[in-house]
Amino acid sequence: MDDIDAMFSDLLGEMDLLTQSLGVENEPPNAITSPPEEVNLSPGFTDLNESLYELEDNDLDVLMADLMADLNATELKLAVDIENLKVPPSSSASQPPPATLPPAPQGLSSYDASILPSPVSLQGDVGTPSPSHQSPLPPPQHAKPSMEEIEAQIKADKIKMALEKLKEAKVKKLVVKVLIKDGSSKTLMVDERQNVRDVLDNLFEKTHCDCNVDWSLYETNPDLNLERGFEDHENLVEPLSGWTRDSENKLHFDEREDKYEVFKNPQNYYLWKKDKQTLKDMRDKDKELLIEENFCGTSIKVPDLEGALYLREDGKKSWKQKLFLLRASGIYYAPKGKSKTSRDLVCFVQFDNVNVYYAKDLKSKYKAPTDYCFVLKHPQIQKDSQYIKYLCCDDPWTLNLWVTGIRIAKYGAAFYNNYKTAVKKTSSGSAWANRITSSTGSSPSPAPSPSLSAKHASQANGHATKPQPGPVSQVRTDRANNYSLPPPPPLTHSSLPPPPPMQTSSLPPRLPPQARLPPKPACRGKQPPGPLPSPLPPPPPMDSLPPPPPPPPFPDDATEAPPDFLPPPPPMTSGPASPPVRPPVVAPPPRASFRGGSRNQSLPPPPPDPEFLPPPPPPISISSGGGGGAPPPPPPPPPSPPSGSSGRKTAPPPPRRTTPVLAGRGGGGGGGGDGEEGNFMSELMKAMNKKRGED
Amino acid sequence: MADWDLSVTVEELGSEAPALSISVTSDLHIGGVILKLVEKTQIKRDWSDHALWWEQKQQWLLRTSWTLEKCEIHADASLVFMPQHKPLRLGLPNGATVRLQACFSGPVFRTLLGICRILNIRHPEELSLLRPLEEKKKKKERDALDEVYDLTEVPLASVSQACLYNGMPAHFADSPQTEAVYRMLSVPQPAPAPELISKQYRAASVVDKAHINSRWLDSSRSLLQQGVQENGRLWLRFKYSTFYNLEPLYDAVRLAQLYEQARWAVLLEDVDCTEEEMMLFGALQYHISKRSLSEPQTVTSNAAMDDLETALLSLEVKLDGDSSRKPKRLTLKGYKQYWFKFQDTGISYFKSKEESVGEPIQQIHLKGCEVAPDVNVAGQKFLIRLLIPAPEGMTEVYLRCENEEQYAHWMAACRLASTGRSLADSSFQSEIQSIRSFLAMQKTHGNSSVPAADDAINPHSLVSPRYQKKYKAKQLTQRILEAYQNVAQLSWNDALLRFLQIWQALPDFGLSYVVVRFKGSRKDEVLGIAPNRLIRIDLGVGDVVRTWRYNNMRQWNVNWDIRQVAIEFDGNVNIAFSCVTADCKIVHEFIGGYIFMSTRTKEQGDALNQELFHKLTGGHEAL
Repeated sequence: MDDIDAMFSDLLGEMDLLTQSLGVENEPPNAITSPPEEVNLSPGFTDLNESLYELEDNDLDVLMADLMADLNATELKLAVDIENLKVPPSSSASQPPPATLPPAPQGLSSYDASILPSPVSLQGDVGTPSPSHQSPLPPPQHAKPSMEEIEAQIKADKIKMALEKLKEAKVKKLVVKVLIKDGSSKTLMVDERQNVRDVLDNLFEKTHCDCNVDWSLYETNPDLNLERGFEDHENLVEPLSGWTRDSENKLHFDEREDKYEVFKNPQNYYLWKKDKQTLKDMRDKDKELLIEENFCGTSIKVPDLEGALYLREDGKKSWKQKLFLLRASGIYYAPKGKSKTSRDLVCFVQFDNVNVYYAKDLKSKYKAPTDYCFVLKHPQIQKDSQYIKYLCCDDPWTLNLWVTGIRIAKYGAAFYNNYKTAVKKTSSGSAWANRITSSTGSSPSPAPSPSLSAKHASQANGHATKPQPGPVSQVRTDRANNYSLPPPPPLTHSSLPPPPPMQTSSLPPRLPPQARLPPKPACRGKQPPGPLPSPLPPPPPMDSLPPPPPPPPFPDDATEAPPDFLPPPPPMTSGPASPPVRPPVVAPPPRASFRGGSRNQSLPPPPPDPEFLPPPPPPISISSGGGGGAPPPPPPPPPSPPSGSSGRKTAPPPPRRTTPVLAGRGGGGGGGGDGEEGNFMSELMKAMNKKRGED
Repeated sequence: MADWDLSVTVEELGSEAPALSISVTSDLHIGGVILKLVEKTQIKRDWSDHALWWEQKQQWLLRTSWTLEKCEIHADASLVFMPQHKPLRLGLPNGATVRLQACFSGPVFRTLLGICRILNIRHPEELSLLRPLEEKKKKKERDALDEVYDLTEVPLASVSQACLYNGMPAHFADSPQTEAVYRMLSVPQPAPAPELISKQYRAASVVDKAHINSRWLDSSRSLLQQGVQENGRLWLRFKYSTFYNLEPLYDAVRLAQLYEQARWAVLLEDVDCTEEEMMLFGALQYHISKRSLSEPQTVTSNAAMDDLETALLSLEVKLDGDSSRKPKRLTLKGYKQYWFKFQDTGISYFKSKEESVGEPIQQIHLKGCEVAPDVNVAGQKFLIRLLIPAPEGMTEVYLRCENEEQYAHWMAACRLASTGRSLADSSFQSEIQSIRSFLAMQKTHGNSSVPAADDAINPHSLVSPRYQKKYKAKQLTQRILEAYQNVAQLSWNDALLRFLQIWQALPDFGLSYVVVRFKGSRKDEVLGIAPNRLIRIDLGVGDVVRTWRYNNMRQWNVNWDIRQVAIEFDGNVNIAFSCVTADCKIVHEFIGGYIFMSTRTKEQGDALNQELFHKLTGGHEAL
């Protein structure tokens, strides 16, 4: 017992040192003078963007200001932690560490309120309610648990804390300089848990731009004349880690029309064979339908591209024309003399391991037939190599078609979800919303022209062409609500995802006014969609065909579902009431679901179970008042109590590999934890030794 | 009013018994006829399911309040009194046959709803019934071969609610037999024998495929009206290629059967795909059958639990990894032996074990790299080929393992690492297991005639006959294994969904063909009917000539006398055609059906607007 305790004390001490040193190293001045490895103490990580060294003074000042806030918070936190640790474990009156960590603050009531940390504490970080929740708890109960229990608890909590710190220490961070169109730049710190969307949001705050969906982060590689826009769901640190130390690569923040053009004008991609005028005159409703058909079904459809492209021959400076076809599974070409039926196609590349890049000026560099080239390569390849595939198109539009088509094939549903999230951002964050929403075809105006009718149904023998009144009397409701893009969710529903546009596009073929077809329930506006219709209803009554039920009167309250059928099995998170809003097949990215309307902070997925802690905070946490956009926002506590349960209704968050859950191993994990510590420790020790050696 | 005699055959009395004669007047209603009839039989039983069938007119007399006069029934009519529900033998997409009670009197669409309710398939509107292919085998032979899963005892009243009991609808939980039926329905079948695939009928051309569509039943008329007899054979298939709201939680049977239909469509080349896609389908089938064996009921695991276990696991495995070694053989040309260590997501190697505490000769980070096998079990060659990305390009590295076990471990580790996962990942063990069974596959089928072990899968069972011929089992294993890299981590459900997604992403997916003759044209052409459009295909060249999207359609009409379909599109585009390989009612139903499918909304949930379906697909029956 004593041994273990001693070991843990040592361990925690070491880790505090480490965390502190990390904190210091995160300061830009140090970053400039020290090798990059030290900024990122994560074991195994070696490459840091060289641009860190090129930071100019003003960049540093800004970054410094950002980080200082974090650093203060971290120090504060550490101070508290250390304080807590110093308290003799046997003193039952003060066992702060145990109480700070478990998510349920009521768990141990022996907390000494006098040393309650500031709001920026471990507590806040791990998602417990604010200290005020704890202070009213009566302290007197502390004598109840036996010494053994207390000690066991202390030990367990120490393990937890150790693990948490270890994890924080392992989070990879980069300081990056982002170039902005006007020639200026912003410097920010990104950690590996942030995706491009988070970084964009951060930049929105810093630059006060209009937040429209076209804003992109993209990299340029001058060695290869390449550029690629990062997709919003990608983690930024990963691709940047692939840059070489002496890389001339740059990171840009700019508007790029091609980023989501396919969702604004899908006809240009999916009906590209049609004549230009038809495409230009495409009605918004038809655009929506295309989106629905291709992105909202169980499978994402890739535009049906085929055409002659020039391929740069391996090693040679020549370009050879081939008939290429795009399929969801990759790019193929039809060998000479063979048909272009599926089985004769030869696979040129599959997308699992490559990204698609725009290539500039290859005409002069590699004697390309035109300057409209794209490249497929593994993201880590930075220099010219036989593993890079160069293709050349006849014109810029073809180039755009192919690059976009490949992105659809490679990213699938994530691509569309990114767009939906971006639109949501826009509509909640800026007055530019109108521009965006109209461009996505959300026009509420009903189609003026008569269209496909159900008249056929009443056609009697032989009287083929005489139109007859439509068969269905149900008036289609104005779908304006459905079309409008998801507004920022009202505060009361803040944890329910707004209706994804997906639903908006489930329109039937338009029918002539007199033959309106399907009953469209009209109650969308009142009721958050989703849970209501999803429970498995009893199958329709079978024994009587007519009369069909009138359009189901939709109850205003989801709980008014017919009582006589059992609710469907609960979703895996065992939420109390409703199944997930959406089937996981096309689940929106979890982050999107948790975005409140007002703040651009990224929430962590809600804890699936109260016994588990949310992902730990980054080592540097910002003070809550921090203006100016501090780098990684700490995960705020889970949604407030009223919305807490509904928060669980949303699609279950996928496990995030970057933040393995370590909490909850708690009490039971003593034995297994010991060895594990040792193992983690060895890595840590190595890292620390290295660092000391360099000091 | 004058009495006259009406002759009615009562099925319950047996086929030999003479028709009963009852005395009626023309103003007697059908209900009265039935009453008289039942009294006359003197049989006490529940007659509530019985109804009168008018043989000459091939129609049911279901309106019991109508008088004989109104029905235009006279003394010469010969009626049959029989139950409306009778057993039907139904071939499922997975090839199994179930026998169940189906309604022979209502429109087939309603019959279908009943069938799907018994089988627990949601969204029955996407399916339909069709006549089976002509069997070459003799009927008796066929019957003997088929195992028939019997569900006729399931009381129809009990299936009205889809409540789950033990993970299955309550009406399946009645007996071990019905539980077995449910397993058959909800778990994909094992991979079929290669011969079974090659012996099946394959549509060789678009025209062949068009003929299949002539076999769909008319969904507006009853089974009996369409000549289906008691105990008759029909197929149940997904007809409309828009699968609404697939939800693994509720759709166990639907997903499994859809997967089976997709699998057979791929194996029989009903839908064209490339070789790479075929290998991926093969890999997914392999994965799914393996998982079906090992986790029959998939439990959706708690993400947090997974991570916790992972954290606990990491230590053990790491130690394991540290102590593992991988000597490259000295004896082989080009290979040199080193001491290897696997850590996190990378490999380090050292000159010898003794030096393994120091700095490694080289460290290889595997994240993002391509891992491919190069294995020949017979030749005891166990190579792992790594294609490692670096700024300058890709580096190729071969690791040679001593034996199968070592190979399985290191291969599994490399695969996980390539996707950024360490040995601590919970899938490590299953990964090892699946590599082992792949090796077993090569062993059993590669170079010996030893019969396959129980759990070994013949790679030829996973691909269409074209590739059965093209590749030997050993080569095929290799190809499938390569494709397997990218799907090995999927859960059972995800693998199934992935299979369906890839299937649906094929360019020709969802096209139903009919040979037609366009108005004004002298030659037959093919009309392809897709969920969102019609396409016109030139039979000679095989190219798509025109595409018309439904959303540009203003109206369509069927002239039932000359059996011609006429469609008007926006911009005054009019087309008209007569149907060659299928009745125009079938084409009409396809178009109307797809339009119906597109009217489904989230709001209406699973509620089905039967009347609308009927109106859109019924044609003159809908009047």
